[in-house]
Amino acid sequence: MKELNELNLPEDLKYSDDHEWARVDGDIVTIGIDDYAQDQLGEVVFVEVPEVGDTFSKGDQFGTVESVKAVSEIYTPVSGEVVEANEALADAPELINNSPYKDGWIVKIKADDLSELDNLKDKASYFQMLKG
Amino acid sequence: MEIIDLNLVDYIKAFELQKKIVSDRINGDIEHDVILILEHPAVFTLGKRGGRENLVVSEEFLKSRNIAIIQTGRGGNITYHGPGQIVLYPIVNLERRKTGVSDFVNALEEVMIRTASDFGVTAVRDGRNHGVWVKKRQIDGSSLQPDITLVPKINSDLDNNIDISGINSNAKLGSIGLSVKRGISFHGLALNVNLDLTPFGWINPCGMAGISMTSLENESKKNIDIKNVKDKLLHHFKKITSSDL
Repeated sequence: MKELNELNLPEDLKYSDDHEWARVDGDIVTIGIDDYAQDQLGEVVFVEVPEVGDTFSKGDQFGTVESVKAVSEIYTPVSGEVVEANEALADAPELINNSPYKDGWIVKIKADDLSELDNLKDKASYFQMLKG
Repeated sequence: MEIIDLNLVDYIKAFELQKKIVSDRINGDIEHDVILILEHPAVFTLGKRGGRENLVVSEEFLKSRNIAIIQTGRGGNITYHGPGQIVLYPIVNLERRKTGVSDFVNALEEVMIRTASDFGVTAVRDGRNHGVWVKKRQIDGSSLQPDITLVPKINSDLDNNIDISGINSNAKLGSIGLSVKRGISFHGLALNVNLDLTPFGWINPCGMAGISMTSLENESKKNIDIKNVKDKLLHHFKKITSSDL
């Protein structure tokens, strides 16, 4: 398990209390799980992603991640419609561990209301929460 | 921490109770961790990703014996529960404890290893699969070390069915399968005490062909009172989750 100061938490992302990250590009929000979450989960063996066209409300479960004999739910920090899911995870679930912010992204959602992301934390306040 | 001993309870009934407790915990109606300890009447359960392909007898055969196969949302593959196996469902707020799933699985394994030790059985972890295992003994009575170099890595793209026959395989004593919802764990561990192991022969347990299952009674060659094992299991669970997590 990593020490908190070993965590990779990029400055340009926003973080949810459930340990998802969000990157905004226009009205498209890319979502994944952060370095803290992947480290806590251990070796990921399967990722269940939603279908393109599925719609979710902020806070809904949109998939699951299975690691070390445990299935953990993951939640969307924003409402909207799925425009793309990371198909590479089907054959390479370990991307969640090895590249949580780049190749291990999980889903892209066309946001209904980007202001929902205002509740997310920046790196500094997220780090404070983890330390808390 | 509240401990509820349900004795012998139907799988679905226990599952509904778990869901209710998890939901109450998420809503804040319950503020403490709840541990269910019980035995199930004979039942096969599938992991979230299935495992029906690892049933090696027909479903009609199971029906004729009045044994159901139930789809669940837990991690892991197909398994069997029956009287004589202790099941422990820890409904624990991992998020609040800042305990990672990986560490929690490790802790549950440790609980089973220490419990087995109390009954004179040496159980170990094994690189092939989570859960706890008993080393297969050679004829001279010495133990074989698990040879990790020979162990195929469990990989999702192998369709969960890994033939490890031909390897000096250990026998599986206890299994783990968990779910985590909003940081709350449910499902849990199953430790074989004195159950009839025959039904494990009707599946590839955990999706692995060629592994054998064992029990505390099978290993110790002594009669074991399941109540004593429950007490030890709970003792170690409380100790390990209060100190190591």
